[in-house]
Amino acid sequence: MKYSVKNIVKSYDSLRVLDNVSIDFTENKTTCILGPSGCGKTTLLNIIAGIIEKDSGEVLGIQNEDISFVFQEDRLIEWKNIRDNMAFVLKKKMSKSEIESTVDKFLKLVNLKEYKYYYPKSLSGGMRQRISILRAFAYPSKILIMDEPFKSLDINNKRIVMEFFKELKALENRTCIVVTHDIDEALDLGDRIILLSEKPSKVKRVIKNIYMETKDEEDKKDLKLQIESELIND
Amino acid sequence: MKNYILKDKEFSLLSKLILIGLWALLSSLIDKEVILPSIKSTILSLIDIVKDPSFSGIILHSLIRSVIGFIISILLAMLLGIISSYSRFIYSLMLPILNFLSSIPTMAIIILALIWLDNEFVPMFVGFIMVFPILYETVLKGILNVDKNIMEMAKLYKVERFTIIRDIYMPSIFINLSSVMTSAVNINLKMVIAGEVLSQPKLAIGSNLQMEKMYLNTSGVFAWIIIILGISKILGYIVELIGKIAKEDRWK
Repeated sequence: MKYSVKNIVKSYDSLRVLDNVSIDFTENKTTCILGPSGCGKTTLLNIIAGIIEKDSGEVLGIQNEDISFVFQEDRLIEWKNIRDNMAFVLKKKMSKSEIESTVDKFLKLVNLKEYKYYYPKSLSGGMRQRISILRAFAYPSKILIMDEPFKSLDINNKRIVMEFFKELKALENRTCIVVTHDIDEALDLGDRIILLSEKPSKVKRVIKNIYMETKDEEDKKDLKLQIESELIND
Repeated sequence: MKNYILKDKEFSLLSKLILIGLWALLSSLIDKEVILPSIKSTILSLIDIVKDPSFSGIILHSLIRSVIGFIISILLAMLLGIISSYSRFIYSLMLPILNFLSSIPTMAIIILALIWLDNEFVPMFVGFIMVFPILYETVLKGILNVDKNIMEMAKLYKVERFTIIRDIYMPSIFINLSSVMTSAVNINLKMVIAGEVLSQPKLAIGSNLQMEKMYLNTSGVFAWIIIILGISKILGYIVELIGKIAKEDRWK
């Protein structure tokens, strides 16, 4: 497997958060890391991204690649319009003309071209998060890391932004790693679901999400029941 | 909102009219030009001052002192503010200096400046001493208040340091500065004129104020106050205009 983490251990003082976590990330597929709130999902994501140090273990393949990020908050720069917010992360990667064509291409791809010169403050929360996802896809990377990207959105906006992500993912292939505590979210987005246990977190189960292929609501229900019982038995 | 602005403007005009009315009433009641001159004599003094061939030179020289002092203050505030945000040592070094400057009376600074400096430089120095701490703290706040989440995002996307300084730090500094700019410019002008009153440079608003006082020409003092208010208002508009252009340009 090109991208993986092996035997990751992380403790904060005497509190062990991650206990020998090993995960393979299938290329160009979405892997959802699902676990109860506070189990150490974000810590694992931060180790994968290289934001924090692990105590032991290995992160393979990922840290040499360019990585795109979508955070819980949109992290748009208030005094820059949408074009400039996207250009901000692209400057090191491409020339001015390439930036212009990339921004135009992605805005056109998702029918948001009229928002090119809008400032973040004039956009709704859902629209801001869509721009944050668009920025992540516009950035030339092979891996996209998302940390509970729909957490701050209401139900309506969450549905819209999730569809937006799926639409972009279908158009632009990336290896996506999504952290969530929401079972429905994991089933709607993940090709594979990694179930983490309570602290100290271990990989409890790896689930192949057949619902992504069949789109059969019965499959989704079955998988949801399985995951719920796993989490209850924790 | 629009109604409120309209009402504010109406109230502002009303309060000005009340003040002028009070002035007219009190001056006629007191009836002593030396204590409170009439509106008429003040206007006549104003016309005399403006008609004087040296008027434009006086205004220009005071403005030049004010502008040079302000530019030095802002450049030094930006330089030391940026260095202080990086260096704990410089930050700690600046703390007692700022405390000292904000605690000692302005008159003490002016007296020291009169001893140390040439008459021409005293007004600039006094303006600098008053304005620099305000600008320095604003610059520092602008840097330290930069959103940590935005900084983390920039780091993760491997954005170059120069781009981060130009696109994140500088706008944050300017947004903060713009909120204190009008008051800082006006404080600077006031202090420069106060410095001129005591140091008596050749062509200066402060020197002329002092001269009118010496001749007990109170209407002349009032006329100069009106001129200073006018300059202060114009400077306020200029700062506002520059801020608007900068905002529309890139830091909306």
